[in-house]
Amino acid sequence: MASREMELARLPQTSDPPRGLLSAILGRLIDPFRRGVPPEPRPPTGFFTDTTVCIGCKACEVACKEWNQLAADGFHWSGNSYDNTETLSATSWRHVKFIEQFPPDNSLSRLVSEDLKPSGTGFSLDMLLNEPKEGRWLMMSDVCKHCVTAPCQQACPTGAIIHTEFENVFIQPDICNGCSSCVAACPFGVITRSSVDGHSHKCTLCYDRQRDGLVPACAKACPTQSIQFGPIDELRERARNRVEDLHSRGVTTAYLYGDIPSKSYSELNSFYLLVDRPSVYGLPDSPFNPWLHMKGDYVRAIVSGLTAIAALLAVLFLLGN
Amino acid sequence: METNFQTTNPRRPSSPWKESKVRGSGYAAGPVTKAPAWHGLVAWDMLFNGMTTGLFLVAAISELAAPDVFTSVAKAAYPVALVLLLVDLLCLVLDLGDPLRFHHMLRVFKPGSPMSLGTWCLTIYSLLLTVAAAISLLPGEWMTLESVRRLVVVIGLLPALGSAVYKGVLLSTNAQPGWKDARWLGGYLTNSALMLGCAEILVLSILMKHEPAAAILRPALGLLLAVNLIPLCLLLGDLRTTLSRIYTRRELYGVVALSLGGGVLIPLFLLFVVDSLLFTLSAAMCIVLGSLLIRFVIIKLPHASA
Repeated sequence: MASREMELARLPQTSDPPRGLLSAILGRLIDPFRRGVPPEPRPPTGFFTDTTVCIGCKACEVACKEWNQLAADGFHWSGNSYDNTETLSATSWRHVKFIEQFPPDNSLSRLVSEDLKPSGTGFSLDMLLNEPKEGRWLMMSDVCKHCVTAPCQQACPTGAIIHTEFENVFIQPDICNGCSSCVAACPFGVITRSSVDGHSHKCTLCYDRQRDGLVPACAKACPTQSIQFGPIDELRERARNRVEDLHSRGVTTAYLYGDIPSKSYSELNSFYLLVDRPSVYGLPDSPFNPWLHMKGDYVRAIVSGLTAIAALLAVLFLLGN
Repeated sequence: METNFQTTNPRRPSSPWKESKVRGSGYAAGPVTKAPAWHGLVAWDMLFNGMTTGLFLVAAISELAAPDVFTSVAKAAYPVALVLLLVDLLCLVLDLGDPLRFHHMLRVFKPGSPMSLGTWCLTIYSLLLTVAAAISLLPGEWMTLESVRRLVVVIGLLPALGSAVYKGVLLSTNAQPGWKDARWLGGYLTNSALMLGCAEILVLSILMKHEPAAAILRPALGLLLAVNLIPLCLLLGDLRTTLSRIYTRRELYGVVALSLGGGVLIPLFLLFVVDSLLFTLSAAMCIVLGSLLIRFVIIKLPHASA
């Protein structure tokens, strides 16, 4: 962002004279209030994630970490399928989710258990290939939804969270002071405050790459085009065609999540093609923008305060005179 | 009313696929939102916010409504309110991820962001309160300064009320379990601020041996305690589902008994049954502790729901 660029430009160069303490303090106090020239609006961009072709390779996670120089999170067994990332975080801006949907007595188990009997003829490839499809895996690469009306941006008291010229939601790292309002406001649980620098972090939709005309790192790395990047109108058209195509092939449960607004939430600039309920993927079934309640909450608070003041005044006038 | 996203496929799937019975598989049972790192410090912040704004509001209203009785008590109250405000601001700053960037809050004025509105209200309130407290502490009486003090107090009413109001709305305007359903949280906290303020100024009056003021403030506090029950009960109604999910029935009864019994009924008993300094102080202490308990319960909601 303009502000970020100003900060980078002001970083000390080896040829610069040393900066005094007073100058450093003044810079820290004044710089956040300086404004750059906002860039000209550009066609809105976003992600379309087709979960039906995701193979769970996690190339998007790796590419994101690589490009954005995000620290490793360590490794722990989550016990949840192949998901060891567990959640979006300040250092994981992409998260591949794995959902195993198998009946408790799945056919593979039955095949294996039968074949392991002493009288069995062995475990053949044909048996595996002809296995009745009684189960499935769902995989989804989760990311910031880049909401058109973003509660995090509405909540941010410092103006750190903005919509870029591409209408993507972006946290200016030099402005955020880690108040966590955005963390509380996000209905998708995307934003996280870092325990290292104390600031909030999330996907930038590779703003730096976009400005240079490049595709975001995750979309570039995705080997199956599950993550598609482009102008949002084109993506929506492409997504609708894909849904129709899937329906014609018999996948009647396919639908788009977040491509158009609901009564309680705006459309998402990062939307999904799903084949099961949103909650199965860890998404809210009915996302709700908390700001829809705000006016009413203010009215109730003010009325309650005025009621108490009226009660106090009543006693003061009755007993004070 | 909440509605799902419109979809290109109106047949929202009722999937024939069953989720694995393997423990930990899938995401349907897990929390969707992330709880912010707001813990005990925020509960204390909520308490001190109520105590400073409430004390200022009650002192100012009392002084303006009955100057003969309350001017001397109010002049003692403003410096106390300033000290409480400083403690509150310290809690607010320390709770930031990067406390050295606290002044970034003043980069923008966003009325649509309760935290931004609250920051600006607190800033204006703190400036006016500082002037009022400073003039109150000056020895002697100068007519001009007194007029300035009164003017500052009158102007300070609105930002003080704004500072009391924003905190509850800040918590209820978000996506966290419990908080998002708490429609009366702002109402409760604002009302509670005035109740706390009344308790504080009553204690001050008694400590200053200002009997006429104490005689008026005692019934006023009783009335405010009763009035405060309304938003508190409405708030408990809002949080019923969340609380019953987090606490066992026994724990829930314990919390309600402590907050209602300890924070309302016992103070009422102490205020009106026995008229002594010790009992009034005990009543005020019960009110403060009851209010703190409720604030801790509220702050824990998203963490306990996760």
